Amino acid sequence: MRVLAIVPAFNEERSLPAVVSGLRRSAPSVDVCLVDDGSTDGTADVARSLGVTVLSLPVNLGIGGAVQTGYRWARDHGYDVAVQVDGDGQHDATYLPALVDAVGAGRAALAIGSRFAGPRIAGAFRSTWPRRAGIRYLSWMLRLRCGARVTDPTSGFRAAGRQAIELFARSYPPDYPEPESIAVAARAGLTVTEVPVRMSERLHGESSISAWRSFYYLVKVSLALVLLPTRRPASEELP
Amino acid sequence: MTSDLIPFELQAISIAVLAAFLLWVLRLVRTQRLSLRDSLVWVVTTLVATMVALFPGILVRAAHVVGFQVASNAVFGAAVLYLAVNVLVNTVAGSQNAARIRRLSQECAALRAELEAARASRGGAAPGEAGPGPKP
Repeated sequence: MRVLAIVPAFNEERSLPAVVSGLRRSAPSVDVCLVDDGSTDGTADVARSLGVTVLSLPVNLGIGGAVQTGYRWARDHGYDVAVQVDGDGQHDATYLPALVDAVGAGRAALAIGSRFAGPRIAGAFRSTWPRRAGIRYLSWMLRLRCGARVTDPTSGFRAAGRQAIELFARSYPPDYPEPESIAVAARAGLTVTEVPVRMSERLHGESSISAWRSFYYLVKVSLALVLLPTRRPASEELP
Repeated sequence: MTSDLIPFELQAISIAVLAAFLLWVLRLVRTQRLSLRDSLVWVVTTLVATMVALFPGILVRAAHVVGFQVASNAVFGAAVLYLAVNVLVNTVAGSQNAARIRRLSQECAALRAELEAARASRGGAAPGEAGPGPKP
């Protein structure tokens, strides 16, 4: 089974070596593909020096466009499973095999790494309470709109099987894509499961979601989830 | 052509402004800053507005048909609606362009990675050193 780790990164030259070495340690057989989302620092050079495949975007597309670049690469190169791992070091690569197993065994087409699914792990990062409230709301919206039961819909730590790779290569939300992409998958009839994972706080830099943007996030994702069942699925052909 | 609906001075100024606007649009097309296709909507609207400035009676009759008491309210209403539609159409074009740029960038990134891999497998030939590049 061929597995690709998609690592989207924007100005993460400091976190990258630890992220890549974590992946190599936990999943040595996994190919790593870094999507450099128009970084202005040495992210791409650091990645090349680490010997991973680098997909360098000429302009900054945002997380959705960057991740989709990885899914398109996975599709075009015949990977069976693609795992998204953030380039900021928040995702613990030791959980990667569990995520791969969840889709590799055919249990589901998409496996979401969840901070809230398993028993509470001491010292694990579970976000601040307003964010947890937002996450709970999104989780409720997802169940309401498309029946997907996901406790951590904002998690970007996830594994996609072939069907989901095909789907996401064609259609992936461009911004704040995590909850909406679960809805896209559920709507396409793919099964979504969860795997308990541990996340830590970022190693360096700041989250791309500041407090004031959280409101926009919730409104945008809510609209996306409300409209989703009535929207025509995106095709490979562009308008 | 002269009308008792609006003073002659106002009519003259309106027509002059519209003519200047039309010339500006045509100039943008001539200097390749606006595509002919995108200029059409502006040319047609300006010509329609010029017709209304020349024959204000058309507007008064149209306003009464729709139910406006005062023709100027119809002008404001129509202008606001027209601009709103225009902005929406432009936003749609912006969304489509964003999707195209996204796809192009993704293709660029993938092609670059393929190229780097191909070069590496051929022993790290630098660009221009070897390979079937475009012939001058």
